[in-house]
Amino acid sequence: METMSPILAAHRVSKTFTNAKDQQVLAVDDLSLEIDEGEFICLLGASGCGKSTILNMFAGFIQPTAGEVLLRGQKILKVEPRCGMIFQSYALFPWKTVRGNVEFGLRMKGLSRTERRERAADFIAMVNLRGFEEHYPAELSGGMQQRVTIARMLAADPEVLLMDEPFAALDAMTRQVMQEELLKIHQQSGKTIVFITHSIDEALLLSSRLVVMSARPGRIKAVIPNELPAPRQIAVQFSPQYGELKSAVWSLIESEVRRHGTAPD
Amino acid sequence: MSSVTDIANERPTGALAEQPAAAERPATRVRRSALLLAISTLSVLTVLGVWYISTERGWVSPVFLPKPGRVINEGFENLANGQLGKDIWMSTQRVLLGFALAGIVAIPLGVIMAVWAPAKAAMDPFVSLLRPLPSITWIPLTMLWLGIGEGQKVAIVFMGSWIYILLYTVESTRRVDPLLIRAARNLGASDVGVMLHVILPGALPGIIAGLKVTLAISWSCVLSAEMIAAQNGLGALIWQGKDWGNLALVLVGMLCISLVVLVTDKLANMLERLLLPWERHQRT
Repeated sequence: METMSPILAAHRVSKTFTNAKDQQVLAVDDLSLEIDEGEFICLLGASGCGKSTILNMFAGFIQPTAGEVLLRGQKILKVEPRCGMIFQSYALFPWKTVRGNVEFGLRMKGLSRTERRERAADFIAMVNLRGFEEHYPAELSGGMQQRVTIARMLAADPEVLLMDEPFAALDAMTRQVMQEELLKIHQQSGKTIVFITHSIDEALLLSSRLVVMSARPGRIKAVIPNELPAPRQIAVQFSPQYGELKSAVWSLIESEVRRHGTAPD
Repeated sequence: MSSVTDIANERPTGALAEQPAAAERPATRVRRSALLLAISTLSVLTVLGVWYISTERGWVSPVFLPKPGRVINEGFENLANGQLGKDIWMSTQRVLLGFALAGIVAIPLGVIMAVWAPAKAAMDPFVSLLRPLPSITWIPLTMLWLGIGEGQKVAIVFMGSWIYILLYTVESTRRVDPLLIRAARNLGASDVGVMLHVILPGALPGIIAGLKVTLAISWSCVLSAEMIAAQNGLGALIWQGKDWGNLALVLVGMLCISLVVLVTDKLANMLERLLLPWERHQRT
């Protein structure tokens, strides 16, 4: 394990934005983080702590002001298809059917029509959307749409999945189902996942390692390995070990919330 | 009644709705649309009745408003001798040709202007100068350059239409959700892929909406051109009616214009539904 080089790394990364009032705002300050292959990292923190900024840098959507972001030791300089992003607002193509959306990445890779169909069918089945292939996103509920984005991303086969509060817009029950599905997908595929949330419960259920962030400017406050037994189900929340870990994480976050007045869920 | 409408239009948008749309209640909808159709019919019949009675009784002089029967006779006469059909066809031809040329020029230009700032910077001054000009102001120049033949009519339609198509295209192309462009790039799309799969389909509903508005404008262009200098076409027909003091013919021409524009609009709507299958499920 010691010799394994990280799949994703941020080295002393800072990011400054210019806001609407033309002021310079430091969103991320001197942040360093290394993520190993196959890890499930949860970035946890109050709103405005720069979580999304980090994810957007890993995807190559934005560039750091200082420092560097690396994928397998190479600098990420433009949009990086090997780091697939799953957006909170789904970002499905409204003019494409479920199948058209799931096939998109394969189509961009130049796969033949029959090959695309076959591969897409597997992923549509994986997220339990068989029978909805010809539906347009607008015909589906929020939970179904989010499952389409996950299938679309998995079909494109990136090395890292970046997920920006993907389940935040879902109702509690759908969210639970999706969380368990995601855990299964992680176990089956062994893909590295970086997952943003502001729910401590969600982070404890999903992650193999928790990164707690402080707000304004965004810094890493603590990195906590999550040693809750895996594979996990929702029932893990009733174990005493879970309670201890949760209160430890909460005490880290509490001071941040008091400082800024915005609470996580 | 309003609560019924709400239920009839309800679609699952919330996260709770795991199942797709439950069927709307067809019986309620049919009853409601039958009622509305009856109201529309009654309203038309009332206006026709008032027209008929007021001209029959001599409350309104035929010099100002001919009797409905006269208009119907005039219409059938012109239909029978082929004049009306020819005029409709000539005007339609001019509109379609000018409109198609405008679209062929303005849509690609608009897309380029929307995605490439230098092109927009180069075009913007001309757009600002040309936009306020009604197409009718182009009549002297186009007559000088093209004479009074078909080319001149088509040119008037073109000049009156292309700017609107251009503006609609630029606007709807710029409004394509940047998040979708990001998502496409993240899924490995090249510039061409982004253009073909995201920008063009994303802009299409707005472009088609613009084309529909512009088509009506194209019709008004051809009519003004035909009223000023043309041997045939619906505009010329109306102008002849005026010159000969034949008000019934004027009304026939006006009615034909309405009908033709309505029919083209219906056709455009059908085409729109065909081209934008995903929009059928969108809530408006």
